[in-house]
Amino acid sequence: MTRLVDVPAQFDDRSFEQFAGAYAAAATDGERLLFDAHAAEWASPYGLVGLLAAGQAARRPGSPDRPLLTAPTHADVLTYWTRAGFFREAAELFEIHGKLPRVKPAEQSDVLLPVTPVRAAEDVHAVVSNIQQRASAILASELGLDPKATMGFAMALSEACQNIVEHAGTGGWVAVQAYHWRRKLARRVVVIAVADAGVGFRHSLEPTQSKRFGARWSDAAALEAALIQGVSRFRDPGRGQGLAGIRRYLARWDGKIAIRSGTARIAIVPKWDDDVPLKDGLPAFPGAQVLIIIPEQGSTTP
Amino acid sequence: MIQHIDVHAVLQESVSGVYTDLVTRPTGRVVRERIERAMATAQDPVTVTRIDFTGVGCIDYSCADEIVAKLLRDRRAVVVLSGISEGHREAIEPVLAGHGLAALIERREGGNGELEALGAPEAAAALVDELVARRLAVRTPAGTIALTLA
Repeated sequence: MTRLVDVPAQFDDRSFEQFAGAYAAAATDGERLLFDAHAAEWASPYGLVGLLAAGQAARRPGSPDRPLLTAPTHADVLTYWTRAGFFREAAELFEIHGKLPRVKPAEQSDVLLPVTPVRAAEDVHAVVSNIQQRASAILASELGLDPKATMGFAMALSEACQNIVEHAGTGGWVAVQAYHWRRKLARRVVVIAVADAGVGFRHSLEPTQSKRFGARWSDAAALEAALIQGVSRFRDPGRGQGLAGIRRYLARWDGKIAIRSGTARIAIVPKWDDDVPLKDGLPAFPGAQVLIIIPEQGSTTP
Repeated sequence: MIQHIDVHAVLQESVSGVYTDLVTRPTGRVVRERIERAMATAQDPVTVTRIDFTGVGCIDYSCADEIVAKLLRDRRAVVVLSGISEGHREAIEPVLAGHGLAALIERREGGNGELEALGAPEAAAALVDELVARRLAVRTPAGTIALTLA
């Protein structure tokens, strides 16, 4: 039997909860999953890497059958997802139904970094090396950031990717894109999305942190410990710098970070956004999903 | 004697490919171990080790911690960081402050430049006092410090 998981028509971090709910409901009995994206109209980088993480999690040990994916039917959407590098990665995870266009992942567009796998430190090197030249132009000319901010951007990207390498216990994906965010800000933003279907923050921090929290230990507590308190699963006092560094960078540029793991989601919410700082009791979704948004500088009143 | 270590060259020897960025902990660890080996096997007695970051692109917090903080924590000689860009400082400064450590940054390229202590304020003051007391550095009329060794 195959269980259906609908991919939202507008697939971003907000509608991700709808997707995660459908995934959690369908994945309960170990049946093969069909991810239905035929009606998709748009997907943010967060949606794309999140869908890959779902495909990674939906693979059933010992079964030759991969989860199914119905590709978007709208030609523009299909082309966009292909240019964003989604199908290059999806082909390994899903049995894809639908005709895919023959276009290469974007090299010159708002896709600053196509969907890129992150499995090892070497991949992080490649990501940081690839992004800097293109990000520099976008950050300075289109977002109005100081050219010096480019290095901070690369640092933030590096640390976000390293969370996969060091904590997930599996591979994941990163994508970086610039676009005009009409709905929220009516200005341009650069978005970094990182996702994996690994062990998640709670499991990663459990050996060193769960006793300290006692009965309060949960996905939400683990996210709070990692992002707000800067704790790490390693006892080395130098650990836990990465997320703290990302926070400093985002504070300077009025940016946002949100991390979802397990059944919780935490966010550092800038004034221009109305997101909730901490949500608990969300539908269970494996691994961790990180969203970083850097807005065009100037007045960011929503 | 001042020992000179070219971090960019060490990085090129340490990771495959042609990357110029000091990112990820594994890379930081390999680079630090090579620097430690170079410091340990110097033929002449080393008083000051100048670690030159010229040519290094981005440094992330993980590498700043793995290389700079750990070298300072276990230091065997006075460590001076040179070729440090604004971007490098952004990674190194909070890492040092987090450890309660301080490092000497050489402001001018090419050596014999003025020094600045970067990191935790108390550790920075103590480091400067120690160098002056050991006559490895002098306070300049401009209120900075400079190495006495060539």
